[in-house]
Amino acid sequence: MTRLFHLLALAGLLFTALSCVQEEEFKDTPEGNLDALWQIIDERYCFLDYKAQAIGLDWNAVHHKYRSRLSDQMSRLQLFEVLSDMLAELRDGHVNLYSSADVGRNWSWKDDYPAQLDHELRETYLGTDYRIAAGLRYRILDDNIGYLVYDDFSAGLGEGNLDDVLYALRLCDGLIIDVRGNGGGMLTTAERFSSRFTNERRLVGYISHKRGKGHSDLSKPMAEYLEPSGRVRWQKPAIVLTNRECYSATNTFVRNMQQCPLVQTLGDQTGGGSGMPFSSELPSGWLVRYSACVMYDAEMQQIEFGIQPDIPCTLDSADVARGRDTLIETARQVLHQAR
Amino acid sequence: MRHTLLYIICMLPTLLWGQTPTASRTPDGTTLVATLVGAGISRQQDTYLSPLDYRGPQLSFLRETLHLTRRAGGRLSFQSFLQGALSYTENRPSTACDWGGRLGYDAGWHYHWHLAHGLQLMAGGMVGTDIGFLYNDRNRNNPAQARLNADVSASAALRYTLHLRRLPLVLRYQARLPLAGLMFSPAYGQSYYEISQGSRDHNVVPTCPVNALSLWQTVAIDIPMRRYTLRLAYLDDIRQSHVNHIKVHDISRQLMVGVVRHFRLLKKAEREEGGDL
Repeated sequence: MTRLFHLLALAGLLFTALSCVQEEEFKDTPEGNLDALWQIIDERYCFLDYKAQAIGLDWNAVHHKYRSRLSDQMSRLQLFEVLSDMLAELRDGHVNLYSSADVGRNWSWKDDYPAQLDHELRETYLGTDYRIAAGLRYRILDDNIGYLVYDDFSAGLGEGNLDDVLYALRLCDGLIIDVRGNGGGMLTTAERFSSRFTNERRLVGYISHKRGKGHSDLSKPMAEYLEPSGRVRWQKPAIVLTNRECYSATNTFVRNMQQCPLVQTLGDQTGGGSGMPFSSELPSGWLVRYSACVMYDAEMQQIEFGIQPDIPCTLDSADVARGRDTLIETARQVLHQAR
Repeated sequence: MRHTLLYIICMLPTLLWGQTPTASRTPDGTTLVATLVGAGISRQQDTYLSPLDYRGPQLSFLRETLHLTRRAGGRLSFQSFLQGALSYTENRPSTACDWGGRLGYDAGWHYHWHLAHGLQLMAGGMVGTDIGFLYNDRNRNNPAQARLNADVSASAALRYTLHLRRLPLVLRYQARLPLAGLMFSPAYGQSYYEISQGSRDHNVVPTCPVNALSLWQTVAIDIPMRRYTLRLAYLDDIRQSHVNHIKVHDISRQLMVGVVRHFRLLKKAEREEGGDL
C-alpha cells in the first residue's frame, strides 16, 4: 500500500512539473502590444508568403521599422496609430485593429481606384416603385431586362426570397445583378445566391488554412464546388456588375458566378479579399482581425487582390452627365445581343 | 467488453501489489445519491479564440451516484458523475467576454480497501465524455469553439469516517486523472465554415497526459442532519489540452453544497410487505 501512496505522490509531482498549458502573455506596454500584434500576424496570417512575392513584403523588416517608432511616453492613441500603420503594410482589407475609439484599416483596395458607380444615378434606374426582398432591390427595366441591386451580403437573403425574385423576373430577356459597392458579408449567402445560376455541380475554387505557425504551413487546398439549387434557377443570360468595392464574400460570389455558363461579369476588377478573417486580441484589449484561410479560384490562382471582369467597362463621365450609367447600358446591350 | 476492461483496470492495483483487500460491507442494494450546486471562479484560455486569459464566475452542478456491487466479494463499487457548468469570463482589460458551458458524464468502478479504522481507499478507473462550448462575444468568423471529448481515467479516493460527539462525519478526497482519450479540435487556423464544407484535418485527436494534462479533484465532508445528509465540497477541475498548436485551459475552483441521500430499490415482495428504507 505504501507503494501506492508513493505512486500517487509521484503522479502529483508529475502534474505539477508539467503544469499549466498557457500561452505566453505579453505586457500591456507599447512594446508588448506591438510584439503581440507582430506575432499574431507572423504565426497566423495566411498570406505572408504570397505578399512577400506579390508586393515585396518583409514582415521581419516591418517589425524593426515600427518598433523604432515606439516610446514609453506615447499615448494610447499614438500607439494605436503605429500599430494600425504596421498592419496597413499587409494591404489587406480583412486586417483591422479595433479600439473603442477607432478602426485601423487599409482600404487602398477601393480608395485608390475610381468607384465606377454613381449612387444617385443608380437610384434613377431603380426609380421609386422597385420591389424589396430582404436585401435585394429589383425591378424590370423598360427593355424587359431584370435589374437587381444587392448592396450587402450580410443582409439576410433566404431561399424563399430568391424563389420569389427569380419567379417575378422569369419573363425578362436577361438579368443584371449589380453588386457594385457590396463589401461582402456571409459566404453562405454568396453560395446560396450563386447556386441559382448553375444546373450542374461546378468546381469554383479551393480553400486552404494555416496548419502551423510557419508562413508556408498551409493545408492541402480543398476543392469547393457550387451545387445547383433544387429550387428556382435562372436559365437566361445574366451579367454581374462589379467594381473595386466588391470585396470578401462578394469577391467569392463573383468567383462563383464566373464559372456559371450563362453569366458574365462586367465593370472593373473586384477589390479582392480572399482571406477568411479570424479575430484575436492584444494585451490592451484591442481586437485584431486578420486573414486566416486562403480562397483560390478554380485554376488555383490567388484572388486576394481581385478578379478581372469578363467585359471590362468604366463609367463614362459624359454618360453620367446624360443620366446614363455606362455599365448598366453596356450590360443591357450585351444581354440583348445574347438574345 | 467495456465493463470487462474497466474491471481489469480496477483490479490492477491488486495484481500489482498483491494485497488482500480487507473486509468490506456486504452490498445491501443501497445507492448513495449526492446532488450539489456550486459557485466559484473560472479561468479560460483558448488560443483559437484569443491568446489572453479570461477570468470570471462559474456556476455548476454535480450529481454523484455510488453503490457497492456484488462483484469481488462486495468490494467493487460503481460510481457515476453528471456534471454541468456555465461560466462568464472576461479578459483582463474587460473589453470582451466568453460564455462557456459544458456537460459531462463519467462512470466507473472502484475497488475498496479498509486501511485502518474508519479509513477506506478506493482505486479504479472511469470512462467519461464531455460536450461543451466557449463563445466569445466579440470575435466574428471564429466566435466559438466546440468541446467534445471522451476519455478513460484513473481514479482514486480516500474516505475517512470520524465521530464528533457521536456525530459520524465522512471526509472524502477523490481525484481523477485522464489517461487516454479522444477529443475534437479544429486545425490551427481551420474555420468552422471549412469543417461544415467537409474539410477534415486531424480533427479527432488522441489525448494523453502529455498533450491533455487534466485533473479533477474534490474534497468533501458529509454531515448527517435530521432527515438528510448535508455535503460541503471543494471542487478543483483542471482541463487542459495542447493539440493542433491550439492551447486550451479551462480551470475552475468551486465551493459546492448539496444533499446526500441513500436509496434502495425494493423488490416486489418487499413493496407488498410495505418495505421501508
